[in-house]
Amino acid sequence: MTKTLNKPSDILTFILPAFIVFTLIVIVSIAWVFGVSFLDWNGMTGGKFVGFNNYRQLFFEDSSYWEIVGNTFLYTIYELLWQVLGGLLVAIFLTRLRHFRSILQTLYYIPVVISTVAICQIFTKFFSVVPSGVINSVLSLFNEEWAYLEWLSNPNLSLEVAAFAEGYKYFGLYMVIFYAALISVPQELEEAARIDGAGMLTQIMKIKLPYIKPVIISNLIIVLNGSMRSFDVSYLLTKGGPANTSQLLTPYMYKQAFNSLKYGYGSAVAITIVILCILLGVVLQKLIIKDDKEE
Amino acid sequence: MTKVKRLTTILVLLLVSVSLIWAGGSKDSGERDTITVLLNSSGSDETYNTWAEIFEGFTAETGIEFEYELISNKADYMNKLQLYISSNQLPDIYGCFNGPYSDAAKATGALLNVQAELEDIGAFDSLNKAVVDFLKDANDGIMYLHPQALYSEFFFYRTDIFAKYGLEPPTTWQEFIDVCQVLLDNGEVPVVVGGKDNWQLTRYLSFIPWRVTHDDFIMDWIAGTDDFASNEAAQAGVELVRTLGTGNYFQRGFTSSDYTDAVNIFFGGTGAIFYGGSGLIPNASKMYAEGKLGVFPVPSMDGMENMSTDIPIHAGVGIGFNAKTYDATMRQLLEYIAEHYGEACYHAGVYSPYNIPIPEGMDQLFYDVYPLFENAEQSWVSWDDKLDAATMTSLADAEQELALGMLSPEDFISQMDATIDSNNGR
Repeated sequence: MTKTLNKPSDILTFILPAFIVFTLIVIVSIAWVFGVSFLDWNGMTGGKFVGFNNYRQLFFEDSSYWEIVGNTFLYTIYELLWQVLGGLLVAIFLTRLRHFRSILQTLYYIPVVISTVAICQIFTKFFSVVPSGVINSVLSLFNEEWAYLEWLSNPNLSLEVAAFAEGYKYFGLYMVIFYAALISVPQELEEAARIDGAGMLTQIMKIKLPYIKPVIISNLIIVLNGSMRSFDVSYLLTKGGPANTSQLLTPYMYKQAFNSLKYGYGSAVAITIVILCILLGVVLQKLIIKDDKEE
Repeated sequence: MTKVKRLTTILVLLLVSVSLIWAGGSKDSGERDTITVLLNSSGSDETYNTWAEIFEGFTAETGIEFEYELISNKADYMNKLQLYISSNQLPDIYGCFNGPYSDAAKATGALLNVQAELEDIGAFDSLNKAVVDFLKDANDGIMYLHPQALYSEFFFYRTDIFAKYGLEPPTTWQEFIDVCQVLLDNGEVPVVVGGKDNWQLTRYLSFIPWRVTHDDFIMDWIAGTDDFASNEAAQAGVELVRTLGTGNYFQRGFTSSDYTDAVNIFFGGTGAIFYGGSGLIPNASKMYAEGKLGVFPVPSMDGMENMSTDIPIHAGVGIGFNAKTYDATMRQLLEYIAEHYGEACYHAGVYSPYNIPIPEGMDQLFYDVYPLFENAEQSWVSWDDKLDAATMTSLADAEQELALGMLSPEDFISQMDATIDSNNGR
């Protein structure tokens, strides 16, 4: 077996199919989109080469673009808090439970398997103002004026509500991953720490979290990338509105390409998303490598 | 090696056979057995019901089958249509928006001159004039699309709520605002609107320019010979959206309600005024029968000369016939349509674009609303059809900001005038 895997031709046999599929689906698509980003094209009639005009407009003339980049970063931070931190805290809480653990785990996981469309419908009804949704109906019991609180249509809150909905949907997934990692921490380490007089918080901070650090990093990267490319919840819940206050980069790309029929411009937005994702990945990797070296 | 050769030969033979079979089943044989159809429909709405009756009747007569592709969401439909136009794969019959989409289909040679065909058949003159006006091409004035139906739009209002506060249906926009203020002061929701859907706020923006200029402002704005900054009617439209939005005359959270939500809110009993149309007659039927509902046309703009037509009439999404696949069978179908379409419309619960009497047994509102637009010759002008997609998308964002008070009327005007110039390379 070892001999076989040492042959370059055999290694290629294993790697090549996946490489070809990846190249065709990802690399070729990105290259094609990169090419289109230099065109003024409505998707129907022939495109016109405009050089860097789309990028110039995007960076220097489109007043919405930088606001949307800001929204996307803020959204990503919210998602990291909800999904990674929230998932981790709930997983730690579950490891301390002796009863009802499975029931709670199942309950927390249910939103993960419900379709995004259904989740968004539920949240739309929950946060409705006219007719009064569940949230406002409950709040109005304390103050009648609160029956008219706006959530999804409030320019100052719509992004946060969308982030909450996505966080609610996915945090159960990361909770399960963290839980699996936490219960794999060897009992001997915990016992040794206890004998040395470490309290519960110290055990978590000094033993458990460092032990599951690779899992935390993996989840961080997955959530980070996923949030930068997030589309469905924001699109379905608020349509990026009101105006562009809850707009994210990916739905904005879609809006430019498919609603405005500016394929070239939409492709330029897509390329900036790719660059941002790569940059964030590289920065995160460097930070992790630096951290590992210091340790 | 011999094995490889044999396998290659078999493969080539297989490919050739498949190609021959494929070619044999195509239109090259000269006989058509199917007609392909693409519609912006859910499969249970009036669009589907009208065409299904036509197609079933034609199938019974000729044996020709119909292959449907139905897409209910308008944005998804537009994407699919655009894809078919750019890949030159439009079906035999397809729903098409009069404007940039019909222009693109025409440019590829896949849009039949329906007007010429209907004139040849002798059915063109029996079409409602306002419907023809709505579908005529902006460049050459020819109607390339067959009307879906005759849709009329108007304001529904709650007669019981109006009576409670001694209000009369408004005839001018100032009266409209005054009525809204009285309703608001009394704790009512004055106007219900589906502000999440672009076209709903665009209607309010375009009401005054339409009553005062018909299509002059929008066409001149597109051409670059007029703008918001210098057109009083257009500025009044901007002020109207701003006043209705920031004055809390629209229901709270209106930007998170789409049209369907708005329909459910109003016919569910909340709100005093709602802009809808003949497509909502089935929803309005019960309230109307109970005497709780009335209708009024689009108010006039005070201090400006308004055109006489005050009920917007349009033809819905036009129906295009693929000129590249138009043959004797398709001509036969068009003749069948001209003969039976009016009847099919009424069976589906919409007004017919062909001038035929409304049959008995329809909802009372059908008969009561008809006199309001019976003699109308000028159609509604849909800005969302006329404007290019990029300008329309920007307009939709800007009008939401305007209604929410995030954008002043002056900023809206300068922003939109600059946007259309930029999108048209001016």
